Amino acid sequence: MGGFHTDISGTAAAQGGQGTAGDYFALLKPRVMSLVIFTALVGIVAAPGTIHPWLGAVALLAIAVGAGASGALNMWYDADIDAVMQRTASRPVPRGAILPGEALGFGLTLAAGSVLVLGLLVSWAAAALLAFTIFFYAVVYTMWLKRSTPQNIVIGGAAGAFPPMIGWATVTGSVDLGSIALFLIIFMWTPPHFWALALWREGDYAKAGIPMLPVVAGPDETRRQILIYSLLLVPITFLPPLLGTAGLFYTIAAVILGAAFLYHAAQVYRRREGAAADRACKKLFGFSILWLFLIFAAILVERGLGLAIFQPVIG
Amino acid sequence: MSRAVTQTPFSPEDMARRRKRAIALALVLAGLVVLFFVTTIVRLGGNAGMRSF
Repeated sequence: MGGFHTDISGTAAAQGGQGTAGDYFALLKPRVMSLVIFTALVGIVAAPGTIHPWLGAVALLAIAVGAGASGALNMWYDADIDAVMQRTASRPVPRGAILPGEALGFGLTLAAGSVLVLGLLVSWAAAALLAFTIFFYAVVYTMWLKRSTPQNIVIGGAAGAFPPMIGWATVTGSVDLGSIALFLIIFMWTPPHFWALALWREGDYAKAGIPMLPVVAGPDETRRQILIYSLLLVPITFLPPLLGTAGLFYTIAAVILGAAFLYHAAQVYRRREGAAADRACKKLFGFSILWLFLIFAAILVERGLGLAIFQPVIG
Repeated sequence: MSRAVTQTPFSPEDMARRRKRAIALALVLAGLVVLFFVTTIVRLGGNAGMRSF
């Protein structure tokens, strides 16, 4: 790992033990964790079969802690580049509040604990998926892809797409087409979401030497890729109804949300100069978070209200 | 005989932080105990009464 820009050697902080409980909580990336909990919950609800509510809650807790462990391991490894990026410079490790070794120990402990709890108390199939997800995010994405290829978030996006599959597996004990469809939605959503952010934070990524697509291929190519991935994403959102995982309510929501996503992606594609371009990117980034929440919420609402689910056409 | 002076290497702020972290850890451990206990009961469910001895 590269050298830290915040030199804390010779200070009290160098001894460690300076971090507050809040600093450790920040290591878990709570905002990412909340989206993971939500999508995993949808996986549990959408899966065929039932699970005792308590066991469902335990599974969600373990998945959330596992996601937090991934965040802590990411912050341990990426502390050098976090220090030079404006968006991440105030994270606990580059700030010197928590030592890299402390973050590593915290992340590994939580990773092992979350996998064991999920396996021992709920399902070993789900626990195996959680372990793989943590490995994928911490090792494949953070240690390997992030610094080596502009396709980093395309492949690495799989890590963020696993939670509904893990939730589903807590109920069925297996990986099914329905859970793969939920996985694919998040997988295809990730590139336009992150590239929209990278377009207006391009300087930050360039300074840190991260080969994000706008840095390597330029903003025009990134805009083209955002549009392509958005066009691929929308049809994929219709897989759940075709697989018998969702019904009419979800389908109507997917049509409306898909049109809105394409509109925002088209705005990013069209507006390439000045403040209007930045605004379009920020709007797509913000809307994409809301979009993911709403499309998964549609499944949740549909199941919650007991609305009819389509018969599977495929699978 | 001189009395040994015991001096903590930590400042009062450090001690406060340690105390808060220790409390947080204690709460997590207590939570795990409850988690395992309740889950065991839930998983046993009605089956516990059906065991033959």
